[in-house]
Amino acid sequence: MLTRYLRVVLLLIFCSAVAAQAQVQAPPAQAAAAPRRVGRPQNQANPLPYDLLLQKGHVIDAKNNIDRVTDVAIKDGKIAAVGNNLNPKDAAKTINVSGNFVTPGLIDLHEHLYTVSANGPLSKLHGIWPDQLAVRTGVTTVVDAGTSGWRTFEDFKASVIDRVQTRVLVDLNITGWGMDHTGHNESDITDMDGQITGDFAKKYPGIIVGIKSAHFTGPEWHPYIEAVKAGNIANVPVMIDYGSNRIERPMAELVTKYLRSGDIYTHMYSGLRNEQDTKTLGPSQGLIDGRKHGVFFDVGTGNGSFRYRVAVPLMKAGFLPDSISTDLHYESSMGNTKDLLNVMNIFLAMGLTEQQVFTDTTWHPAQEIKQTQLGNLSVGAIADVGVFSEQHGNFGYWDMDGLKMVGNKRLVCELTIRAGKIAWDLNGISMDVWNQKASSDPTMASHWTDFPPRPPLPEQLTPTQK
Amino acid sequence: MKLSNRSLICQSMFGAVLLATGVVQAQNQAPAAQQAPYHVAPTPYQNSGPIGCVGCPANGAARRAPVQAGGQAPAAPGGAAAPQRVGPPQNLANPLPYDLLLQNGHVIDAKNNIDKVTDVAIKDGKIAAVGDHLNAKDAAKAIDVNGYIVTPGLVDIHMHVYPATAEWLGRSSDEPAQSGEIPITPRMSWHTLWPDGFTFRSGVTTVVSAGDSGWRNFEDFKEHVIDRSQTRVLAMLNIVGAGMRGGRYEDNLADMNGEATGYMAQRYPGIIVGIKSAHYTGPEWTPYIESVKAGNMANIPVMIDYGSNRIERPLYQLLTKYLRPGDIYTHMYSGLRGEQDPHTLKPQAGLIEGRQRGVWFDAGTGNGSFRFRVTVPLLKEGFLPDSLSTDLHIESMNSSTKDMLNVMSKFMAMGLTLQEVVEESTWHPAREIKQEQLGHLSIGAIADVAVLSEQHGNYGFLDMDNLKMMGDTRLVCQLTVHNGRIVYDLNGISMDLWNQPASSDPQTAATWTVYTPRPALPEQLTPTQK
Repeated sequence: MLTRYLRVVLLLIFCSAVAAQAQVQAPPAQAAAAPRRVGRPQNQANPLPYDLLLQKGHVIDAKNNIDRVTDVAIKDGKIAAVGNNLNPKDAAKTINVSGNFVTPGLIDLHEHLYTVSANGPLSKLHGIWPDQLAVRTGVTTVVDAGTSGWRTFEDFKASVIDRVQTRVLVDLNITGWGMDHTGHNESDITDMDGQITGDFAKKYPGIIVGIKSAHFTGPEWHPYIEAVKAGNIANVPVMIDYGSNRIERPMAELVTKYLRSGDIYTHMYSGLRNEQDTKTLGPSQGLIDGRKHGVFFDVGTGNGSFRYRVAVPLMKAGFLPDSISTDLHYESSMGNTKDLLNVMNIFLAMGLTEQQVFTDTTWHPAQEIKQTQLGNLSVGAIADVGVFSEQHGNFGYWDMDGLKMVGNKRLVCELTIRAGKIAWDLNGISMDVWNQKASSDPTMASHWTDFPPRPPLPEQLTPTQK
Repeated sequence: MKLSNRSLICQSMFGAVLLATGVVQAQNQAPAAQQAPYHVAPTPYQNSGPIGCVGCPANGAARRAPVQAGGQAPAAPGGAAAPQRVGPPQNLANPLPYDLLLQNGHVIDAKNNIDKVTDVAIKDGKIAAVGDHLNAKDAAKAIDVNGYIVTPGLVDIHMHVYPATAEWLGRSSDEPAQSGEIPITPRMSWHTLWPDGFTFRSGVTTVVSAGDSGWRNFEDFKEHVIDRSQTRVLAMLNIVGAGMRGGRYEDNLADMNGEATGYMAQRYPGIIVGIKSAHYTGPEWTPYIESVKAGNMANIPVMIDYGSNRIERPLYQLLTKYLRPGDIYTHMYSGLRGEQDPHTLKPQAGLIEGRQRGVWFDAGTGNGSFRFRVTVPLLKEGFLPDSLSTDLHIESMNSSTKDMLNVMSKFMAMGLTLQEVVEESTWHPAREIKQEQLGHLSIGAIADVAVLSEQHGNYGFLDMDNLKMMGDTRLVCQLTVHNGRIVYDLNGISMDLWNQPASSDPQTAATWTVYTPRPALPEQLTPTQK
C-alpha cells in the first residue's frame, strides 16, 4: 500500500531520473504537458554504511591479491569494503552473487568509438557507440585507440566521450586527422607532428592516456619517432599498430630501440610483421627482446589481427599477453572478435586461467595506461565492478582466418556496475519478482541503480493474482 | 592490419562506402522518379565542420555496389609491403546446385506451415530448397545445425536507428537551454543506435526505423544509415516533418503534414513501409488524422505510439474509428493509455474491437512500455501480440529490452510457445508492413535465415518497473545469414578447426560467406602440431 507521500516521492524521483537518463518516452497521463526535464536528480541521503552489497562472489582483484569468495560493498560510487560476512542490514540493496566471479570493471585498451572520423558526420562506418557493447560485457572503461588526432579530438570529446555512460579514454593518433577517412590518411607523414600532438595531449590529462600510430605503409621511422616525442612531452605511453611489414623498419628494431619501456605493441598475435619466428614458430627474437626492454604486448584481435597458428605456438613458448583487448569496430564486432568477453573466452580456450584473463583485462591494462586508480577493488576506488557467470559446454571461438578452436567455458556478464550504479543486469539478479513483495526500500533505488523508477499505476491496477 | 579493408579506405573513401554497404538489398533501390514538391530542408548535422565528407558523391545510391569477399592483390615484390586489397574481388562461379546447406535443423516457417526437422539450401542469395535429406555434396558448404532452430531472418518492426534525430534530453541542440537545463552543444543528438551492432548477433536481418525521420530528413537518413548498413533498414516516416526530435518538435501540429509525408513515402516504396505518430501530448486528433491521410496516399500502414493519455482523445475511439484495418498500435502492454481495464484487469473494449476491425497490436517493449502486471492479465485473456518488437534505443538496449531475442525469450517465459514467438518475429511483422517477400523461407525468397538455440536454465526477464519474471529458456543466436551470406557466427559452426584440414573448398567461400579470406601465411609457418 503506497501512501500518498510515497507516491509523490516516487514521482519526483521518476521525473529527475528521467532527466538524467535522456528519456524520450512520452510522460504518463496526469499532467497536460510533459514534465520538464530539469537538472540532476536529488539524491536522498542513505543513512546506511553501504548502498549496494554483493555477497559471496568469487572476487578476483590482481592488485590486491584477492582470489577467493568474499563480499564487496559499495557506497557513494566508491568501493566501501571488501571482506567476509559483511552485514546485509548495512546495505540499501543486497545481491547474492554466489557462483559468479566479481572483478573490477573490465578495461578494453583498444576500441574504435569515434564515428565521425569514418567518413564525415554521422557516417559511422567503423566506430561503434561505446555503450552498445561495453556494459553488457562488463566493460566500464574503454580506450579509443587513435581514432581521433589532435585536430579532431575535441569534436570526438563533445560528440561521444562526454555523452556516454562508459568511461572513454583516448590514445591520440600521431596523425593530426586521426584514423581519418576524409581524404587524409594515416600514411601522410606531413600530418605527424609529435610536438603539437604532445602539447595537445597535455591539455587533457586523464582522458588522453596515450599516443597511437597505426596502419603506416611507408618505409620511414618518422611516425614512431614523432609518436614517442609526443609521448615524452605528455608523459603517456605510445601504442603501435605496426602497419605494413617493411624491411626498412624491422619490428625487432622498433620494440628494442624506438619504443620506450612502457610503450605498447598491439596486434601481437597477427603474425603479419614477423612476430613469429619462421623456424621455431615461437616468438621472434624481436618480441623476446622487446619484452626484456619493457615494452607491453597487447592482443587487439580485431578483424584481421589474430590467428591461432601464431597465437598457439607463441603461448606454448610462454609468450603470454600483457593485456587482452578487442580492437572493436563494426566489422570486428560482427566477426571473430564480437566483444571483450568473447576474446577472454578465446584465451580461456587456449589455456589461460580465469585469474589470468581477468588480470589481463583489469589491473594489467590499467597499469599500461598509467591509470592505476582503475582496474582494482581497493577500498575507496571507483566502484566499477563486473559480475560474471561461467557457462560450461561446447563453444567455438574463431580467428581471422575463419578457423575455430573448441573451448568448454564461456564467461557471461550478469551484472555491470559503473561508478556504483547498476548499468546492466542480464537476468534481473538485482531485481524483485514482479508479483512478490519488494525486498528493499525503493526510495533508496537511486543509490544503487541508474534505471529510472517508474510512476506507479493507479492502486486498483495492482494485480490480485499473487 | 587492423581493419581488413584498411588499404581501400586509405585510397578512397568511395571504397570504404562500398565495403561497408555490403550486399545490396535489391528492394531498397530508390526509384526517386518524381521531383518533390516540398523543399527538403537540410538537417543541421549534415557534413558540417572541418571534417566533412570530402569528395563524397552526392547521391548515396550511386555508391552502392555489391561487395564480394575474396580477392587481394599480390604482395609487393620482395614482400616489402603488406598485401594490398584492391577493388571488389571477383566471385568464382559455384557450379553446384547450392552455396550453403543447413542440415537437420528444426525449421519454423509460419507462412509455409513448416514446423519440423529438415534441411534448408541457399543459392545466389535466395532460398533454393527446403526438404528432407538434401545432399551435402550439392552444396559448397554444408553446416549441421541439428538441435538448433532454423527460422526466417527476424524482422524487428520497431527500432530507432537514425542518430540525427531523437535529441539528447529530449531537446534539440538548436534550442536554447531553459533555466536549470543542461546546455546542449551542436550534434549532441545521439539517442539511437547503429543497426548493425545489434541486429545480426540477435538473428535480426530486417529492422524498421519507427519514425526516426520525417519527410524533411528522410533522405539524409537514407544516405547516412540505410544505404550504409548491412542490415536491411526499412522506415516508417514520422508524421512530424522534423522526425523524432524531442517534445518541442513532436508536439508541433504545424509540422504534421499528411500530404507532404505521403508524397515522400510514395517516392520510396519498399523502403518507406509505414507512417508513425509518437509521443504526442496534445488533445487533438490531428496527428492521427494526418498519419492516416499519408498512409492512404502511399498505401502503407500507420503505427501509433499513443503519447500522453488524454481524455479528449480516448484510446477506444482511436482504435475503433481513426485507425484503419491493417494499422498498427504499438506499446500494447504499457498500460499507460488505458489498454487495461482498471477493474477487470482485462483488455479494454477498444483493444478487442480494434482487433476485430483488423488493427494490429505490436509489443514495442522499449524502456518504458512493458509491464508484467499489464501483460500477464492481458495474455491470460488471450490478448496475444500480433508482432513482437523491441523499440530499441540507447536506453532500452541496456535495461529491460536488451535485444530482440531477449524480448522473444521474455514472452516464452510468459507462456507463449517457441512457434508463436518466431511467427510474431518473422511472418507476422512482414505482413503488417506489407513486405511479404520477407519473413519466410519459400523457394526463391531472399535468403535471410537465423539459426537459434534454446539454452535452458534459470533466467530472469525484466519489465519497465525493474521487476522480473523467471523463465527456463533463453534463445541464443548461433548463425545469421543475410542475403545468402553468413554475417554472424557465434560458435564458428560454419568453420573448420584451426589445426585440421579444410572441410570445403575455400575457393568458393565467397559464395557462402562475406568474411574476407585472409592472405595465407608462408607455407613453413603452418604449425606442425596437428
